[in-house]
Amino acid sequence: MRSGTSQLRFDAFRRSLAAVVGCLALLAATGCGRTPAASFRPNMVEATKQRLTPDQEQQVATILLAMFGTPDEPVCLPEAGLDEAKLRLAAGPVRSDIAGRKNGLYREHCAHCHGVTGDGLGPTAAFLNPYPRDYRPGVFKFKSTERADKPTDQDLVRILHNGIVGTSMPSFALLSDLEIEALTEYVKYLSIRGETEIELVRAFFELDDEDEGKLPETREFLIDEMLATVAEKWRSAAEAEIAVPEMPADIDLAASIAKGKELFYGDKANCVKCHGVTGLGDGQANDYDDWNKAIVQWSQEVAGDQDPAWASRATQVLAGDALRPRTIPPRNLRQGLYRGGRRPLDIYYRIHAGINGAPMPAAAGTVAPEDIWHIVNYVRSLPYDFDGELGIDRPMIAKGD
Amino acid sequence: MGKRLAGMFWALLFLAVPVLGVAVFAIAPSINVWLPKDVSEHGASIDSLFYFILALTGVVFIATEVLLFWFMWKYDAAKNTGPATYIHGSHTLEVVWTIIPAATLLFLAIYQMNAWADVKMRRPQMQPTVEVVARQFEWRLRYPGRDGMLGTPDDLHLVNDLHLPIDEDILVQLKSMDVLHSFFLPHVRIKQDAVPGMKIPVWFKATETGAFDIVCAELCGWGHYKMKGRVTFVTRPEFENWLERKYAEQEATQPSLDTVTVN
Repeated sequence: MRSGTSQLRFDAFRRSLAAVVGCLALLAATGCGRTPAASFRPNMVEATKQRLTPDQEQQVATILLAMFGTPDEPVCLPEAGLDEAKLRLAAGPVRSDIAGRKNGLYREHCAHCHGVTGDGLGPTAAFLNPYPRDYRPGVFKFKSTERADKPTDQDLVRILHNGIVGTSMPSFALLSDLEIEALTEYVKYLSIRGETEIELVRAFFELDDEDEGKLPETREFLIDEMLATVAEKWRSAAEAEIAVPEMPADIDLAASIAKGKELFYGDKANCVKCHGVTGLGDGQANDYDDWNKAIVQWSQEVAGDQDPAWASRATQVLAGDALRPRTIPPRNLRQGLYRGGRRPLDIYYRIHAGINGAPMPAAAGTVAPEDIWHIVNYVRSLPYDFDGELGIDRPMIAKGD
Repeated sequence: MGKRLAGMFWALLFLAVPVLGVAVFAIAPSINVWLPKDVSEHGASIDSLFYFILALTGVVFIATEVLLFWFMWKYDAAKNTGPATYIHGSHTLEVVWTIIPAATLLFLAIYQMNAWADVKMRRPQMQPTVEVVARQFEWRLRYPGRDGMLGTPDDLHLVNDLHLPIDEDILVQLKSMDVLHSFFLPHVRIKQDAVPGMKIPVWFKATETGAFDIVCAELCGWGHYKMKGRVTFVTRPEFENWLERKYAEQEATQPSLDTVTVN
């Protein structure tokens, strides 16, 4: 009886050993990293907002596929003005190429927050505050260009290098220059794709009766009108850098800070309205940024809609394709955390051009350039309580060459 | 015949554990999965403790495993058909095998005290060389600047790219902005948890120039695997040049000085 049991056990062991070997053989034959081909997610919020029919949604998807390809096989039309080699380095699943170089950088480093589509709806997005950037509207906050302009390549590179302190965006400073450039190129690709999609969806609104509810699938319309218009905004960003005047040299730092303080509380710059009398960011704090505001406003529209079928579909889209809106508090200027960079130059850009997509307005036009420098100096002094001790043996602003 | 084979199979399978175990340790250094190069002053004492404990536990491991094999081989049910005999146990034997490990552990605890004190207790009396703030998922760095004090306007702020001078005491002030992290410099034999709400001093002296890894050694969230930094050890003059250059970049007021490495 006893030996019978051990014989049975040994047989069972042999069977399970055979099963393990079989599984390993199966794995070797099929590969273990195989996942279904990745696809871009349609902008359902925009499509539903514009009340597109399923046929129209399908047409947008078909056009986008032809113009931009898939996440694994990006298409790079010359009109998009993107570098195809760099795009390919960033696109697709994470893998190494023949030269041993890492490919699929976007999915390795970015997609879990920003999403494969660049819609800011990656798996970790809902847990973050602020939410990761949705590239599709083509709006970027931290840049050296005027408020409505696109960022320069260098602006995107800076953000990847430094991360955005105070948010969940980490630094990628240790990636190679080529990898960083590949990633910024891919971000531009996703942004151009997303913005073109939004333009296409909105174009249904301007159709004539003879179009029969379909977009004209002509080169003039799709490439020259839609794609090229979006791409041109990116191309022109390189020449649109804000001209920064030299910091006034004839005024000492303490006086500059005093001047900046006056402006901070004054009517023209009126920083105090949002950043608060103490600079703690405790002024008006119930505003939304553009991404969240769009969802808030559309939710209200949906709630007040008369068509129950559409409203129920829209509610589903809101639940599945949008994150719960969050307000954007004005920055606490006493923390010394500067999301767009801590150089005096960065803060100058922020005050001059405002922050695109956020309630922060541009001061250029109402505040003179040298006065902006005074505000920069005041803002940079806020984390440190000086009260007159300033400047003794600790130059706060080293003059550039 | 089948029963005999089964008994031999199990005995040999258990013998494979010490054989493979020793083989892995024998091969590891030659395929570069052994301890990384040590570039610290105190590292040798940590390493020698490691080797000493490895040798001690290695001998016990091999002896135990071989004994296990031998029992399985000798007392295989297929060969031993007679009934088993029951014994009550040996009091003396139990005392011996309790006292020997206890004494060994006590010896180790005393033997390592000096090394421990060097790394965790005998802190050099100085201002921090740099403040390292761990954050999901990066290392934020702050140098005191010319006044030698942290928290003043001439601080230098950087991320992930730590530079330090060699051949002098380094005092790192370690903090965490969010959750538990662990500041691990494998080549310097330094590992210290970063705890939210605490300023923890970490000190060492590097002996060689070069760039080495900083890794997070405490599971801190989904991005833990990529929480990687770099420490570059340079000579004192190079270190000062580097600080000057980074500070000038940080204080840039014109895009002509535009470089990307300063936040």
